[in-house]
This record gives sequence, structure tokens and C-alpha cells, in this order.
Amino acid sequence: MYRYDEFDAEFVRQRVAQFRDQVQRRLRGELTEDEFKPLRLKNGVYLQLHAYMLRIAIPYGTLSARQLRKLAHLARTYDRGFGHFTTRQNLQFNWPKLSDIPDILDELAEVEMHAIQTSGNNVRNVTADHFAGATAEEVVDPRPYAEIIRQWSSLHPEFSFLPRKFKIGITASEHDRAAIQTHDIGLQLRRLADGGLGFAVWVGGGQGRTPYLAKKIRDQLPEADILSYIEAILRVYNLHGRRDNIHKARIKILINSIGADVFAAEVEAEWARIKDGVLKLPPAEIERIAGYFAAPAFAARPPPAGLRPADRSFDRWVTRNSHAHKQPGYAIVTITLKPIGGIPGDASAAQMEAIAELAERFSFAEVRVSHEQNLVLPHVRLGDLWAVYQELKRIGLAEANAGLVTDIIACPGLDYCALANARSIPIAQRISARLAPRQEQVGELKIKISGCINACGHHHVGAIGILGVEKRGEEHYQLLLGGSGAEDAALASITGPGFSPDGIVDAVETVVDTYLKLRTGPQEAFLAAYTRLGAQPFKEALYGRA
Amino acid sequence: MSKTSGHVQVLTANRLGDGTVVFLNFDGDWVASLTGVVIARSPDEALGLEARGRFDAGRNLVVDPYLVDMREVKGALLPLRQRERVRLAGPSVLGDVPGYLAPAAPFAQADVEPGGQGIEPDRRGEPRQASGPARKEAA
Repeated sequence: MYRYDEFDAEFVRQRVAQFRDQVQRRLRGELTEDEFKPLRLKNGVYLQLHAYMLRIAIPYGTLSARQLRKLAHLARTYDRGFGHFTTRQNLQFNWPKLSDIPDILDELAEVEMHAIQTSGNNVRNVTADHFAGATAEEVVDPRPYAEIIRQWSSLHPEFSFLPRKFKIGITASEHDRAAIQTHDIGLQLRRLADGGLGFAVWVGGGQGRTPYLAKKIRDQLPEADILSYIEAILRVYNLHGRRDNIHKARIKILINSIGADVFAAEVEAEWARIKDGVLKLPPAEIERIAGYFAAPAFAARPPPAGLRPADRSFDRWVTRNSHAHKQPGYAIVTITLKPIGGIPGDASAAQMEAIAELAERFSFAEVRVSHEQNLVLPHVRLGDLWAVYQELKRIGLAEANAGLVTDIIACPGLDYCALANARSIPIAQRISARLAPRQEQVGELKIKISGCINACGHHHVGAIGILGVEKRGEEHYQLLLGGSGAEDAALASITGPGFSPDGIVDAVETVVDTYLKLRTGPQEAFLAAYTRLGAQPFKEALYGRA
Repeated sequence: MSKTSGHVQVLTANRLGDGTVVFLNFDGDWVASLTGVVIARSPDEALGLEARGRFDAGRNLVVDPYLVDMREVKGALLPLRQRERVRLAGPSVLGDVPGYLAPAAPFAQADVEPGGQGIEPDRRGEPRQASGPARKEAA
């Protein structure tokens, strides 16, 4: 994985020192909140419902075991013993004291981490396929390009005050695990018609109060041009994006206002002007960065798996939570942070340390964070799966539910978030407990829950989406069906009138029951059945015949 | 302020240093409980409280002061909005957080009516999700 050079290390050290001074000035009363707020946001510090919150960047979802140990240490030393992995592959601490945050950032810098640009109207943490560098499906590892974009976008003077936040996602597979069509820019790395490497470029995706799927504006962009093309996109957005209305400031609004064709034409015109300038990526530079992401020293012929006791739970876990690896004899392992009835994305300090230990013993000290709020051990020998499973059982994270109906995405919701209107986590917990006995029968079905219209829980692209709203001061939940964040991206549709906290759990079960009754067989997944049947039978089951 | 009988307002904010939810009490202190809190029962009193909030925010004691609508029932105060009930009582899921380390100073949960902020247990016997004692972590 990428290692800081002297410039990176000094850059982060300077930034921490600057923020330490800003915090001290704020605590001494020399800065007002209005003056301090934009400074803290640039460093990932929010003021949430009950306390400050620190959002730490995990670039393209890649962590070393050493970094995960540090996060565990920080959780125990400065927070309340746990961390929350988010839908943007970041980690949030929910309880830091403002006065402690500079010390936390200093400790993060020791392991080459920071919280820069995890908030604010700038380019946020670049997210990537969490199986990058391990899956046989990809053309190449997309993370070197994510790292190049990260370096280019960090404190970019022209793009530090964009109309609104800006999110970039990247994948190198046809099967989209990075939800690129829900990003401001989605990049699919691919083999071009001329045999070289390049990108399909999608723009204008996003969720929130006005959801749009991204539109493809370039199908064959050579890899050397990726920075200049992104710069052209951001320049057009920076010029025309609305700054008078926060709800209309995202690039998706601009593109759907002027039309993707017009937007693309402006981008192409700007790009033609700058594409042969300083942002042209020399092959040697791409190769240099790619060198940081070289495949680990896989055993050419790993020893075969030894005999083990017959264990159906283990068999189920292998079936659900391990995935094909590009290297024969290895597997990718998903550790779902979704124990039945548990809190999606939360991990204790002890669990983080245990997973770091597993990564060191069995996965070349690498861990990944997925946008589905799970962790991944990317390179596990097949013969080590049993040992990994045993340890995960010990720490309570061996649920065989990756991709199943209990593998629920949920934002922090009203339990933590100052923006939320309703709680997300308790709803996820109750649905998980309710449907767990039937999760294998139901098969792949993604439930995504947001506590407000900002859609951090990705409800617009849930096969079943839930949106928490406030109705006369109380929590209320809308139900949506038919969304997907994958290569078959689709926005879910609201079924009808909303539900109480009790009612939404029953409603989800009704939808699942209806699907099980009407599907052609276990091979017809929920989304396929929904596409075939339409919304009507589900609405009738939920609300009765009109 | 609401004209409905029993509806009052109190002044809340977050403490600058650690973000703790606080309320203004009769001694002029910002405290993490509703005990002794100043209550506005008229628009004029509410305006006075708002002015005090701006003043203390200007002195960098607190951040983001605002008035919370409350219902006063037999001397007890209950926030009208669920948002404020959760904000007062703390996250409803702390009992389920893996490895949760409770702080030395607890939330002002005693000020909330029992069941006022928690989602009640599912009738099919699922685990209770309302706040409770910290669960021992799995490892």
C-alpha cells in the first residue's frame, strides 16, 4: 500500500500543527464559532447531536494492520471504546473532546493517516472497490489511480471552495462494488479499444434530497489524461455550480439543469485546452505509484487445506463470506460488522485489534473497509480460512451474512447525527433480528436505511430502502423498493404512505414474504422478481387493494 | 412559543470544550441536566433566554444555543420532539455498542419519562433496543 514520502509526512505534520493552534485559539476565545467552524470541518470535525465527531479518512478503503491497531488505541484512549465504519469507507469517532483532537491527529500522522477533507466543500476521500488488488474480475488494481487523484486533490487551491462537497468513486471491474453511479464522478477503469488502459467517466450521480444516477460522458479516456479530465469537470462545475442555494449546489443539479450533453461539451472544450499540460500523467509516474500497490508475495502453491471437523456453520460462512481471489489457493474474506441484532458498522477497540492480528497472521497485514460498512481480509490462504473463522467467532463477527438481508447499511441516524430526523440503527437491529432465521432462504437482498433526506444510508439504492422522517415531532419511516447501487444501478421508488417505527419492521417483513411467495424460485433474486412483477403486488400486500 | 397549555421552552447548547449537551440553569450555569433549568413561559421570557444564549456563545462558553419546546407535566419536563428527547437522553443504542466505555458523567436520563425516547421491544420477542447498561464486549 501507499507509504508517505517526506513531502507527505511534512504536509500532514504541518496541517496538524496548524489545527492545534486553531483549536487552542478557539478554546481561548480568540476565534468565534463562525470563524472556527470552516476550519474544523476542513479537518473532519463536526459538532453532532451529543458531542463532537471526528471523521478519519481511510483512502480508497485500504488499511494496514498497524493503522487499524492505532484506530483501536485511539478509540480506547480518546473516545468510548469503539469506532463506526461509514458508507464512504471512513471511520468516525462519536465522542472526542475538542481539546483532544489535535493529539488524535498527531497520533494518526504517526501511522500515515489524517482527517483532511473528510468534510467541507472539497474533493472528499476517494472511494474504491473494496476487493481491489485481490479480485480476478478487475483489469488492474484501481487504487494507484485513486492515490494519484488523492494527491492531486489534497488542498488543491482551485478546488478548496467548491459549491458543495465532491465525491469520486472508482472501480476496475464490470461488477460495480464501489457504487460509482451514485458519485459526483464515477470512474470505471477498463481496457480501451486500442489495447491501452483508460476510463469510462460518469458524472452527476448523487443521493440526498434529489437523487440522480450518474451519466456517462466519456467511454474511452486514456489513463494518462485522468487528472486533466477531472480538472476540466471540476472547473466547469466550479464555474457554473450554484452557490446561492445549498440544496441546488451539487454537480448533479447543474448537469440535470443544463443537460449532460451541454455539460460534456463544456468539459471537452476545457479539457482540449489543458490536456497536454502539466497534468498529463507520465507512464513512469503511474508505474511508480502502482509500485506501492504491488501484489504481496503469494505462495505459488499454497499448501492444501488440512482436514477439519465437519461444521455446517463454517461451510455457510465460507459460502457467503469468502470470494474468489485472483491468486489460486487464496480467498477474499468479508468480515461483516453486522452481527444479528447488532449495530451496522460499529467495531470495538478489541475487535479492531483482533482483526489487525488476523490481518498480520493471514492477510499480509492488509485490511479493507467496504462502503457497505464491512471489513475485508483481502488475501487469505484457503488453508487458513478455518483459523480465521474460529477467531472471528471468538470476537462475535463470524456471521455468514455478506450480501444477505441482515447485512444492512444504516447511517448513524438520530442516535448521533444532528441532521437526522429519525433513528436508523434501532430499525436495522430489529429488522436483522426479525429476518435472521430466514436470511438464507431469502438470499441476496440489500436493505439500506437513512435517518434523513441526506441519504448517508444510501436508501435510494437499496433493494429495500428506508427513509426516516419527522412527522409531528415523532419518527416516521418511508419505504422504497427496487434500488441498486451496482452496475445495474437504479433508484428505488416510494411504495406509499409511511410507517411508524413498529410498522416499518412489519412492512419490510411483508415485502420479504411477498417476494418469497411470488418469486419463480430461489434463483430469482429480489431485484429480478421486483423488475418482473413491478411494485403493485408489494403495494397490495402493504396497503391492501385500492 | 406554542400557545398550547403546558408548553414551555428551555435554553440548550453544546459545551465548547467537549460538545456535551447542556442547559441553562437558574444559577446562570450551563449544566448537563434539566434540574433547576430556567423555563420560559412567555414570548418575552423566550426572547430573554435567546439573548442570554447569544451572549454566552459570544463568550465562548457554549456553541449553537437554541430554545427547545417542552411539555411540562406535574413538574417534569418532556421535549415535544423526538429529536430533542434523544438529544437529552443520549443515543438509545448505547447498550448494544460493542465495547462501549461509559464516561464518568452519565447522561441526564433521569429527566426523561420512562419509555419516552426508546423504541419499545418488538412484540415478537426481539431484543430490547432502548438504552441500557453497557454490554460487555465480545472480546
